[in-house]
Amino acid sequence: MNKTYAVDAAPLNGQAAPHAARRRPVLRVAFFVALGLLVAVLPLVLPLSSYVLNILMQAATYAVAVLGMTVVLGYAGQINLAQATFFGLGAYAVGLGTVVAGMNFWLALAVGIGLAAAAGCVLGMTTLRLGGHYLAMITISFQQIFDLVMVNWAEVTQGPDGVAGIERPSLFGWQLTDDRAYLLMCLAVLYAGIFFVWWLPQTRTGRAMRAVRENELAASVTGVNTLRTKVIAFTLSSALAGLGGALYAAGFAYISPDNFNFARSIEFLTMTLLGGSQSAFGGVLGTGLLILLPEWLRFLKDIYLAVYGLAVILIMVFMPAGIWGLLRAPFERRRKPAPVDLDAIAPLDFGVRAANPEPILRLEAVQKHFGGVKAVDGISLEVARGTVHALIGPNGSGKTTTLNVLSGIYRATGGRVLFNGNDITQHAPHERAGMGIGRTFQNIRLFPAMSVLENVMVGAQRPNNPISGHREALRERALSALKFVGMADRAEFLVKNLPYGHQRLVEIARALAGHPEFLLLDEPAAGLNQTEKKELGELLKRLRGHGLTIFLIEHDIALIEQVSDRITVLNFGKKIAEGAPAEALRHPDVIAAYLGEPAHGAA
Amino acid sequence: MALLELRDVHSAYGNVEALKGISLHVEEGEIVTLLGANGAGKSTTLRSISGLTGVTSGDILLDGEPLTRVPAERIVRLGVAHVPEGRRIFPGLTVRENIMIGASGRGRVSRRQLDAEVDEMYGIFPDLKRLSGALGWSLSGGQQQMLAVARGLMSRPRLLLLDEPSLGLAPIIVQQLFATIKSIRERGTTVLLVEQNANMALSVADRGYVLVTGRLTVEGTPSELLDNEEVRAAYLGGGKQAA
Repeated sequence: MNKTYAVDAAPLNGQAAPHAARRRPVLRVAFFVALGLLVAVLPLVLPLSSYVLNILMQAATYAVAVLGMTVVLGYAGQINLAQATFFGLGAYAVGLGTVVAGMNFWLALAVGIGLAAAAGCVLGMTTLRLGGHYLAMITISFQQIFDLVMVNWAEVTQGPDGVAGIERPSLFGWQLTDDRAYLLMCLAVLYAGIFFVWWLPQTRTGRAMRAVRENELAASVTGVNTLRTKVIAFTLSSALAGLGGALYAAGFAYISPDNFNFARSIEFLTMTLLGGSQSAFGGVLGTGLLILLPEWLRFLKDIYLAVYGLAVILIMVFMPAGIWGLLRAPFERRRKPAPVDLDAIAPLDFGVRAANPEPILRLEAVQKHFGGVKAVDGISLEVARGTVHALIGPNGSGKTTTLNVLSGIYRATGGRVLFNGNDITQHAPHERAGMGIGRTFQNIRLFPAMSVLENVMVGAQRPNNPISGHREALRERALSALKFVGMADRAEFLVKNLPYGHQRLVEIARALAGHPEFLLLDEPAAGLNQTEKKELGELLKRLRGHGLTIFLIEHDIALIEQVSDRITVLNFGKKIAEGAPAEALRHPDVIAAYLGEPAHGAA
Repeated sequence: MALLELRDVHSAYGNVEALKGISLHVEEGEIVTLLGANGAGKSTTLRSISGLTGVTSGDILLDGEPLTRVPAERIVRLGVAHVPEGRRIFPGLTVRENIMIGASGRGRVSRRQLDAEVDEMYGIFPDLKRLSGALGWSLSGGQQQMLAVARGLMSRPRLLLLDEPSLGLAPIIVQQLFATIKSIRERGTTVLLVEQNANMALSVADRGYVLVTGRLTVEGTPSELLDNEEVRAAYLGGGKQAA
């Protein structure tokens, strides 16, 4: 996602992070359970017409599919314009399965979910490497193909006539043929779905999804397998759609391709955005509204569709976070971040392996070319274990490109990268993170809409991190890392509300939470004042004292002199000098190309 | 009358007050610097002046005329240019186009004039000349920073707001940049500068203010600020090191 420049432009709303509340107040949960039961009981006791019950049934089954959209779009940030296809796969599995093949409803339902999940998984694996508008295009195509197949492959799908006479099932001897009973079952499934989608963001996978949404590049170097995470989101989403579709088919007894076309996919998307894409409750709210609104507006007769469209546009324009976002805003504003007991946080354990005379990193004639531009042009260097090694050079000399080749964001055009003696030249960023390479970015790449603590927890959950993957362990690890950089008191703040310099420290903490052996820092002192820079220098020295190896790009000569053991100087993608600070910084080429005339006297 | 005057300006993000009553003035032709720790409100002050962040109370006056209710794009036309922190250049435009966009608020400027001014920018940042036809995204971080500053200068502002212009620049470029800031003033532009490199900022400034958590605490000439023990301890890295 090319959203680098938009990150800071995100609207500033409340202080506390929406997902920050760890101990969800019992009262609030009780409120929602009570509300849910009330909604479930109302249709049983109110004298509702069969027409109204059908509308409710439609809303409940659609809402299950919309919950899928919450996962894929709201959490993982991936556009999906084929949700009606997955919904249709579930519906047709039940329709054809029970009517034509004479299958048991529950078996057909399981087949439908499986079919939808498999289709989502395959589609995801093949297309999720692309993003944004490409993904939108491909899902639209998939939707169109599904449409055509359903209409034209009449021998199997019964074509445009659709499948009629789908019967409602029985459950443990209870016949669910009555509208009320069937609606109750749909609601029960919906509640289970809501609970699942509500609980998901707090899990490892859910956190990884949100990290991918917020900043895919940063997520990958933090150790998140981004493709896998996106495929999981897509699969879950399509499975939920399949479930919703299966229930829909039996609810309405008749299905045809019209029910599952592109317009329906757009409807699901609108419901998700309207209600608020980042919350399970939002999606359900949006579904209810979008289904009920046309009913309420029917008295307007001829113009009701126009008014309906206008209402949707107005809500979208004036409530970018959806209706749920608007409802929550007053609570978010009033919520104070929970105080953190700093004394209770354990000191950060580094657990770096025992000294080993081999260099931790070796670059052998590494090249990175972009078309004709030789950004890195045959750099060889070694980084000794347990040292601070600085990489300096004029702007555009290839420093950040070198770092990107090291962390796997770019594949080297030529040459080899050896880490602990292993050739990692072809490894993906998350695999390198899993080997103990952590990094920060020049332009700060955090997950802006997540709390400081959650940002660092993503770092703690990297593969092979030698801590238990349990939530509490991740949290403790993250707090220790935050305490080490002095940011633990900000743990519950939204990271985007922190000033620039503090965001840098959080980024370092995120890397430290993963027990890195080798830390890559891209201009860590940028945006810090001179006193803060000194503190950063002390912090880097402490890290080295714990056995970490640090490879940093920096322009602040005072800091470089303060911390580095060795300096490599680049210009035009080539190494022009290397040595101890005093030596490298006095090199005439370095003074001419980089330092400039006023002598930055080394010692 | 001061070119720019802030009177008891308050500003908030959500329920967090970022500015708690800032009063300052910048005279025509001055270079004034704002010092302060991270989160003190320096960037917010600049954003309030250029209209990017709303003000909850207080007045901001340019030539005695209030700016507080004026939209950001109008403030640019009044001669206030803001070079924000964080290099927001246009990634899909070339370096040359990025620079020229800076002049778009100035009304009609002849093509020849524009070319001459772009060449002037290339004189200040020779790296950009070499990259003239390259797309914005392909520049390194430091080159993007140069580009953002050049774009700001192209608006020929009366008041230039610079937010950390030296961020990510090689020492040799920082020296050129500060020489440029001095020459900008000689061209008649007033500069309000936020900079973490306080020694460097004070070496070109006429006056400085120190911001602490949304309030101004100290005001003075560079030598007064450099002699102030508190300022030294908080922003200049303690000791008596030379710039």
